[in-house]
Amino acid sequence: MPVIAVDAMGGDFAPEEIVKGVADASLATAIECVLVGDEPRIQAVLDTLSYNPAHIRIHHAGEAVGMQEHPREALKSKRDASIRVGATLVAQGQADALVSAGNTGACLLACSREFRTIKGVRKAALASVYPRHVDHPDQDQLALLLDVGATIRCDAVDLVQFALMGSAYAQRVSKVARPRVALLNMGIEPFKGGDVLAEAHERLAAMPAIQFVGNVEGNDIAKGIADVIVCEGLLGSVVLKFIEGIADVVNDVASNAVKQRLVWRLGMRLLSRGLREVSHLTDYAQYGGAPLLGFEQLLVKAHERSRAHAIANAVKLAAKTVRDGITAEIAAAIQAAR
Amino acid sequence: MSPSKPAEHSGRAARTGWVEVLRARRPRRAAAAPPPVVYRWDLDKTYLKSDFESLTKMMRVPFERAEDKIDEPGVVALMRALRASARAEGRRVFVYFVSASPPQIGRAIREKLALDGVEIDGIVFKDQLQHLVRGRFRFLREQIGFKLAELLKARIAAPAGAAEYLFGDDWESDSLCYSIYADVVSGRLDHQALGEILVRLRIDPARLVEIRALARKVPVEDAVRRIFINLERRTPPGRFRSFGARLVPTFNYFQTALVLHEEGMVPLAAVVGVGHSLIDRATYTRAQLRNSLDDLVRRGHLLRDDPPLRRDLEEAGVLPSMVAQGTWSQRLWRRLRRRRPQSARGPAPRPAVAIDYPKLVDAWLASGGRPGDAS
Repeated sequence: MPVIAVDAMGGDFAPEEIVKGVADASLATAIECVLVGDEPRIQAVLDTLSYNPAHIRIHHAGEAVGMQEHPREALKSKRDASIRVGATLVAQGQADALVSAGNTGACLLACSREFRTIKGVRKAALASVYPRHVDHPDQDQLALLLDVGATIRCDAVDLVQFALMGSAYAQRVSKVARPRVALLNMGIEPFKGGDVLAEAHERLAAMPAIQFVGNVEGNDIAKGIADVIVCEGLLGSVVLKFIEGIADVVNDVASNAVKQRLVWRLGMRLLSRGLREVSHLTDYAQYGGAPLLGFEQLLVKAHERSRAHAIANAVKLAAKTVRDGITAEIAAAIQAAR
Repeated sequence: MSPSKPAEHSGRAARTGWVEVLRARRPRRAAAAPPPVVYRWDLDKTYLKSDFESLTKMMRVPFERAEDKIDEPGVVALMRALRASARAEGRRVFVYFVSASPPQIGRAIREKLALDGVEIDGIVFKDQLQHLVRGRFRFLREQIGFKLAELLKARIAAPAGAAEYLFGDDWESDSLCYSIYADVVSGRLDHQALGEILVRLRIDPARLVEIRALARKVPVEDAVRRIFINLERRTPPGRFRSFGARLVPTFNYFQTALVLHEEGMVPLAAVVGVGHSLIDRATYTRAQLRNSLDDLVRRGHLLRDDPPLRRDLEEAGVLPSMVAQGTWSQRLWRRLRRRRPQSARGPAPRPAVAIDYPKLVDAWLASGGRPGDAS
């Protein structure tokens, strides 16, 4: 069983919700988790929970990087920060992957310092799943979007590498035999979006290893045209946050409608199951987190607001990704494309 | 007739030398035998993995044969080791079961114990049928009163000075019942307070009178050393804090064996035996056993985190070997640390606290007859 290091001190609800998520995972799975953080605080939380001690280890780290701290300065001054110690454990082979809901910048920086980059990969990418329309019941309800924030600006070669990594991930983890890959752009024409996107389009279209379906626009993201959508980190992050916000908007609209008229209230009651499904589908807690691709070791970055359920799912995702040998698959794909 | 001279004054003494004389003069002191020890066990969820989750499964239990019954992982190895260890020390040892199960399952239980090679000195069941026939319906569901009365009866019959270790689980009332019993026997809980607790627990009046009479008869001595609660349903261990350090909630019998080893009740070989039993029969890995040991240390139930103990367990194949793990510098550091005599590390022993029974009982009642949060 894979060993997953979990940054117990990272996230808006750390350490309580992180420890609770790990405790839940310890009862439901045989995954071994190493909680990295302030041991007495972690144990105090564990004492109040149902857990299986056989599946939980604690590795003490005396410091933590706050959510508002500057990543570089925080990691420089806090040598015993939980995220740094967690990344070191993974780099040393004492754990197979790292899960953190902490400061995203600090997570990426710690990983880039401790992890080894896959040979040939220039930049790492955070890959997140999002809900999309399906054409048939067997189709996966989720598609992959990368990068969602690891690399703010990219060139054409970076985007091509993201496409290779995303395709390999979708093949292994989402079990899509030949994933359709698209480039997020402001128009479907190959020359649109500027030099970088046009060059990326050209390179991807010439690549037989990838089933490239061309550019997609914003309104196509949820239509299910592609299994993997590639974009630079800034754009991906905006899109992801927008999708997350939909659930909140739907809930707000529904609750306002309920207050307005009795007929609307009845209508909402009839629609409630569907609304719950929309909410469930767009809930980041269901997906666990976003894997950071491009390193020989793996980080699953959970949402900062993650609660126990999201952390437990992030742990399961990390274990599945390790079991599926995703980093080896990516390395092979990059090597073949060179 | 003149009284015969004692041997030391006879002429034979002079013939056998001074050594013999001195030996004969001094009244021969027998080597002090260690005090007897009594192990009292609950049956279901402590010794046996009884399945009461559904009515169908519960109805099946009385009809199960001995070979169908499944013991909790590691418990058989521990029970055997407890008796063997006591015998090796020349200590009198008694093993009893007190169970609220009906006596109709007695035959299968005795056969199961025989199959497991566990010797017992007695087993008490709750005669549900008799209560049913006599129309004492309140007695049917009531457990604390029954167990407390049986434990007190057994204590009155036990040899003087016997130390006791109690084993139960987190499904019903073992933690509360055993703690009340231990405090009645030690004299920490007076008759007045006991009566109030029993009333609060809504014990049947007839049973209450019986328990009070037994409590007056029981010799006062601090007999109960430890109460082990098998966390079969994974109750948060923090809920047992208010029971004090005497009560040790354990997640598996490897943890129980470790505490008993620290108490000097079983040798290291027994801990190794229980560990191997978990590896062989319960799909535990060595890493999981190490995690269990670490958990026990963190929760403060193992007062000394002994590096030699860990090394011995590693060598016995119960814990994963740390030799090959980590970078070369970490491995070197570990080797150097092992050579250096170390003081045992571990959390400070938890101070003995007086149990706030009214609060505990309220929490117990509020949680529907399970260990509630009384903190």
